[in-house]
Amino acid sequence: MRGTVLAIARRVGQRLLSSIPALLGVVVITFILMRVMPGDPAVFFASGPSAGKAEIEELRHKMGLDKPIPVQLVLYLKDVATGDLGRSLTTGQPVSTDMRRRLPASLELTFCALFIALLFAVPLGVAAALRPGSPVDHFVRMLCTLGVCVPTFVSGLLLIYVFYYLLGWAPDPTARIDIFAASPPEITGFYLIDFALTGEWAGWWAAFTQLLLPACTMALFVLAPLARMTRASMLSVLGGDFIRTASAMGLSRARIIVVYALRNALLPVLTITGIVFSTMLGANVLVEKVFSWPGVASYALDALLAADYAPVQAFVLLMATIFVMVNVLIDVLYGIADPRMSVE
Amino acid sequence: MNVNRRSVLQGVSGLTGLASLPRVAFGQSRAETLRYVTGNNVNTLDPTVPGSTRESFGLAMNVYDRLFAFGRKKLGDNWVFDSTQIRGELAKGFQISADGLKITVMLRPDAVWHDGSPVTAEDIKWSLDRAVSAKSLAPPQLSSGSMTSPDQFRIVDDHTIEVTVPKPDRLTLANLCVPYAIMINSKLAKQHVTAEDPWALDWLKSNSAAGGAYIVDSFKPNESVIIHRNEAWKGGADGRKPFFTRIIVQTVPEPATRANLIEKGDADLSIDLAASDIPTMEKSKKAKVVSVPQTNGFTHISMNTQLAPFDNAKVRQAIAAALPYEDMFKAALFTRGRRLYGGDWSGSPPDSDFPQPIPLKTDLARAKQLLAEAGMPEGFKTTFAFSTGQAATAEPMAALLKEALGKAGIEVEIQKKPDAEFATLESDKKLPFYTDGATAWLPATFYFFWLYFTRDQRWNFSSWKNTDIEQLSTAAHFERDSAKYDDECKKMISIFAQNVPLIMLWQPNHDAVMASNIDGYTYQFYRQADFRDLKRT
Repeated sequence: MRGTVLAIARRVGQRLLSSIPALLGVVVITFILMRVMPGDPAVFFASGPSAGKAEIEELRHKMGLDKPIPVQLVLYLKDVATGDLGRSLTTGQPVSTDMRRRLPASLELTFCALFIALLFAVPLGVAAALRPGSPVDHFVRMLCTLGVCVPTFVSGLLLIYVFYYLLGWAPDPTARIDIFAASPPEITGFYLIDFALTGEWAGWWAAFTQLLLPACTMALFVLAPLARMTRASMLSVLGGDFIRTASAMGLSRARIIVVYALRNALLPVLTITGIVFSTMLGANVLVEKVFSWPGVASYALDALLAADYAPVQAFVLLMATIFVMVNVLIDVLYGIADPRMSVE
Repeated sequence: MNVNRRSVLQGVSGLTGLASLPRVAFGQSRAETLRYVTGNNVNTLDPTVPGSTRESFGLAMNVYDRLFAFGRKKLGDNWVFDSTQIRGELAKGFQISADGLKITVMLRPDAVWHDGSPVTAEDIKWSLDRAVSAKSLAPPQLSSGSMTSPDQFRIVDDHTIEVTVPKPDRLTLANLCVPYAIMINSKLAKQHVTAEDPWALDWLKSNSAAGGAYIVDSFKPNESVIIHRNEAWKGGADGRKPFFTRIIVQTVPEPATRANLIEKGDADLSIDLAASDIPTMEKSKKAKVVSVPQTNGFTHISMNTQLAPFDNAKVRQAIAAALPYEDMFKAALFTRGRRLYGGDWSGSPPDSDFPQPIPLKTDLARAKQLLAEAGMPEGFKTTFAFSTGQAATAEPMAALLKEALGKAGIEVEIQKKPDAEFATLESDKKLPFYTDGATAWLPATFYFFWLYFTRDQRWNFSSWKNTDIEQLSTAAHFERDSAKYDDECKKMISIFAQNVPLIMLWQPNHDAVMASNIDGYTYQFYRQADFRDLKRT
């Protein structure tokens, strides 16, 4: 047991170390990409009714844009190494402050969406795999196709229209909590956890209902890869010899499916979950926009449109880091799902 | 019956008779709270910081006082600002010396800052000094009112300040009414001054040292700003406090969501709904629309007068004659605005106002003839650009323009550019032919000409150089005789109409959509809502 833990720790360490060059590459490429893109941030931001050439030059100087690009890059890397991600012109705040406030919002939404998606996708996938070609299978296939085909902003707006506008069941789809209610004290930044910690259950409920619609919108979108992967993987496992043996031994059907088949089928589902999670975090910009969710993706998009360099660079770095972390985590989870995997 | 979370909660707490419960207090204060939703964002509390957004200007007008304020007048059924009426805001009154060089400003003796300390002449001197010396957006603006140096502001006594200008300037007082001319609690701001930042620009970005009608409770950039009423405020037109005790400014990026919120009665005001939602809102029972032409703005088609073939006035006139104005107006704005083409005068304009309808008419035969006179009977090829931010109106307009100019032999390639790239190209004068919009805070005719048609600077959209306009706009700036002033302005307008450096199209409507019980909305020169004017009936 101790050996297994050690092996896992060593592997985690190695993976983290080997990801450093990749992260560095990401930082440099984003930095250069932002600067070769057309559009001068100084001109864009010095757009007051009386801003002239002098003001633009002044702003350019203040932002360090008057220096050659290699010098800017070295200065930027030095800042990043000391934890300074620069200042956003769009919000006027240091990027690290913005990120600290917005990342929990995005993570909370993504985790909940992923949870909802898994809650539905795994049983649906299993059900479809147990009776391939049956009406159940076709129903699952239709649901998945629908989820993938309908863009998130359409399904989001549709959900808002039905549940907020027509039925009035959902709270107004703006931000993380009713604007008239008080937000929880800042502990973790995750509203559901913060409210639970302080024991304000009315606030928890308000935050939860606010979260439900955007999370469902996102869950709908990622239902397909998860359910399809579960189905395919279950199908191949169910055809295995050990399942036939288990049936022949007279084990209960539930035990065969859940303990023997599902556990073995989970490995590819885990892999795809990791990928889906990373994609969701970056790609949920449309959901964040539709629901006025103050997350990192919409923050980065606003910055990109305004040629606001610092937040975009920080966002890409953050996403790359999260991607690395998630992959490491998935590696560890492999070991738990299938002990054979942790043997090197 | 319409049951929702809120009414149930109010009902329950009402039944149990617990009048002191916060939820009930909240129910009452909802009527006194204004929830304003916008697609944009307040990014600084100090509007003079480079990069500040228009929402920041709007907020600063409510949080800070200036020395003076514009009045308002009725235009049809609606209120618009009136820059010809200037009243004291933090000032009680003013006197101008006979030669027009000295303005004596008397402060309200009882005025206090948000922290309760009294407003003194020293604070005002510091604020004015800051507005002309800090590295911010304020100095270039105030220079248009001949205020450039701290030496021009002198403390006479505790409640009197004297402003001296080198020449009698028509815009000195008006410049003290704009969002950049905020008056700051200098004792508070000075505590946060550093060697590199002698005017506390950094600290004031996310803190306020103000004395205006509202006090900032919370400021979350890109999410929301919450402000509450300053009960000690006396700067209103008749000394009255504003109606709303609390204002929530919330960023809601999706226009459809903003429309839903207003129609459901959950939000009270929005000024940037999608154009296609406005007709629905006009029919809605819960909402009403206040539509006012943006009297201090214009949408234009600019031609770079320094680049061939647009350096030839005949080519510009030909394009102006070929455009299908009425169709463009319908396609782009559904005629929601005021036309600036089709004026029925020639030679000298009927009055000295600007922008006013210019005699531009669609006349294809004349366009072809002008092109032939310019030596290009076969036409030419060019590009026509607009920014993605304006695509909703510019795209249909560009398609019509391309078709119409094609008939005159001019082949147009349409270019749609991301906003930041478009701004850079425009500022670098690299666009030959494009459309954009503009608004001037101070709608004086000479100011328009000085800002948009003189000098090598960003807002000279068509890079026009005309010595007559340069002389006339400067002369009018310092003209004290109103008959002469009118004359100079009319001359500039007729030179403009002759030369067509850019084609005036229209003034789009400013559409403010609000709950039907909100009253008093005023169109302001900075194109944002002034919460101090609003009330719930």
